[in-house]
Amino acid sequence: MGNNQDSSIIYLRGLHKCYWVGTMPFPALHGLDLDIAPGEFAVVAGRSGSGKSTLLNIVGALESADSGRVEVLGQDILGMNSEQRTRFRLHNIGFVFQAYNLIRVFTARENVAYVCQLQGKSRKESMEIANHWLHEVEIGHLGYRRPDQLSGGQQQRVAVARALASNPKLILADEPTANLDSMTGRHLIRLMHELNHRFGTTFLISSHDPDVKQAAGRLIKLADGQIVESWEEVPEPPQSLSASCPANHLPLGERVRNYIKTRKQSRARKRRGGNQRRS
Amino acid sequence: MNQSTSTVINTILTVALRNLLAHRRRTFLTIGAIAVGLASLIFLWGFNEGLHRNMLGNFQDAIIGSIQIHHQGFFQHPELSKAIANPQKVVEALRQADVSRYSMRLESFGLAASDITTQGVMLIGMDPLREGEVTQLGKRIGIGRFLAPEDEYTLILGATTANNLQVKLGDEVIIIGYDRFGAMLAESFTLIGIITSGEMGLDKGMAITTLATLQEMVDMTDRITTVVISSEEKRVPSLTAELEAALQGDELEVMPWYSMFPVMKEWVTLHNGFLYLFLGVVLFIVLAGELNTMLISMLERTREFGVLMAIGTTGYQIAGILLVEAVVIGIVGILSGILLGYVIVLFSSNYGIDLSILLGSTSRFYVDPLIYPHLKLDHLGITSGVILIASIFAGLYPAWRASMLQPVEAIRNG
Repeated sequence: MGNNQDSSIIYLRGLHKCYWVGTMPFPALHGLDLDIAPGEFAVVAGRSGSGKSTLLNIVGALESADSGRVEVLGQDILGMNSEQRTRFRLHNIGFVFQAYNLIRVFTARENVAYVCQLQGKSRKESMEIANHWLHEVEIGHLGYRRPDQLSGGQQQRVAVARALASNPKLILADEPTANLDSMTGRHLIRLMHELNHRFGTTFLISSHDPDVKQAAGRLIKLADGQIVESWEEVPEPPQSLSASCPANHLPLGERVRNYIKTRKQSRARKRRGGNQRRS
Repeated sequence: MNQSTSTVINTILTVALRNLLAHRRRTFLTIGAIAVGLASLIFLWGFNEGLHRNMLGNFQDAIIGSIQIHHQGFFQHPELSKAIANPQKVVEALRQADVSRYSMRLESFGLAASDITTQGVMLIGMDPLREGEVTQLGKRIGIGRFLAPEDEYTLILGATTANNLQVKLGDEVIIIGYDRFGAMLAESFTLIGIITSGEMGLDKGMAITTLATLQEMVDMTDRITTVVISSEEKRVPSLTAELEAALQGDELEVMPWYSMFPVMKEWVTLHNGFLYLFLGVVLFIVLAGELNTMLISMLERTREFGVLMAIGTTGYQIAGILLVEAVVIGIVGILSGILLGYVIVLFSSNYGIDLSILLGSTSRFYVDPLIYPHLKLDHLGITSGVILIASIFAGLYPAWRASMLQPVEAIRNG
């Protein structure tokens, strides 16, 4: 393991992945290099088909790469067999999916406790951990409900709690806000950001939601399976008019003025970030 | 098993059971199909067993008993010269084997003659008092009466023989026979009873008198050729072996009913074979039904399995979930089937199943028209065990398929 790997929680070099439909190749990742440091709140952005999900799947030991080097938490993912990958995921990685993907037959609390039980913790201890994380994601009072009795936002909070319950070092979230309305999505991102700050858990999120990109501590832009831009810092204020309206009670004119103001600030910060990288 | 392993197993069990309950209708339909299949098998086994017991019981009760003891070779070539040399030793062996229901006979061949014609008959001299403990021949006398101890030169004939001879109750019948030295004998008998059993073996070719009369006629006082024993069916093989051991070296043959008339045993085996065939058909239906349920369940939950795998559930654990579901469906189905089948057999064994409407004359096959089903534990065990194995097999393929899922593919395509 080199020095680069020592300081990275994710270390990717020369990553290639190509899907085949019959005899037609569909390249997904094209010689991608990436380092993510512990505690980062990184967002992978890009158009549909740019390779965001593939990247997360490979980092999450859910999928193999055709070639390249993948080290997560210092472990060579590609050298692991299926069983080892599953164990690795269970103990080191939390997942948040676009479609929540909770277990239908379990309550919210049981969904969160499930991973703890898989880790071998007793049911009582697992339930206590589940309660703790449900409170952290502000739905402690809904622990007894089943997924079909929860709203989309609430379900995604349960999914975040589940991802955190196994005490992972890394959380991978694939389009976590795509199925949520913008307000709920922003709340969720704020929550994930807060959890990242408080617990130091590394987040790698794929999204093309401007609100998510705006919250990123680091924005990695993908196009055609390659990183085309990577910023350490992006403007905090919202980028969209709809997302710029936390106070929807304001008159439209004032909301638009606020929006223009934040856009200007955003552009200025972005420019400053670009100059720093060039220098 | 350490605590963490048991926690994981409990979690897998919980997922499986919750899923079964989440799809109650499908689960209970599958359980119901297994239960009905098993219950019908249990009933058929019970009916079959009742039929066999009835038939074999009647067959043995009619005249042959459960076991017979003769001089070596007598059964194949019945001759008076092959009398049992030491009947007292046989009686002692029976006493030691705790057998109380036995009867002595003297058997030979002869001719029955009336004014009209003659008929070849098996001459049987039997003890009227002891015979009732061994066979139910007395109950098959349709016309007249059975032998009494004080009778002398009275005779019972089968209906067919009596008809052929054109004799009726009170008529004289001349019996012509041979003594043990081959000298011809003839005596006059009075017909006191006619067997009207409908069973060919009894109604034709048999002439029965008292043991004392036949012994006197053939000049073999206190000599016998046959000891007939009545025993519980399940004790017949062991009792045969026990008596064989006790009478070893005495030139005697100890023959259970199935050695004397193997065709009856073969018929029962063949009949059971049909039931095993039926068991195979029901098994196939159960297997196909449960496999269908498990496959649908697996395909419906492909996405869920993908997610479970992604968050740390191993392929073996996923397979475990489906196998547990299959086994639980199997076990609940089997228990329900046993209960249902038992109730049906219990009910029908109390009231009997009347086959007289379906069958004109069952007595020809030693079968009473009223059949009382009887459940044997080994049949129950075999059937339930095989259905449980079928249930496990029904879960194996979907479990294997689920365990081979790739998380990403499963989540994407599920």
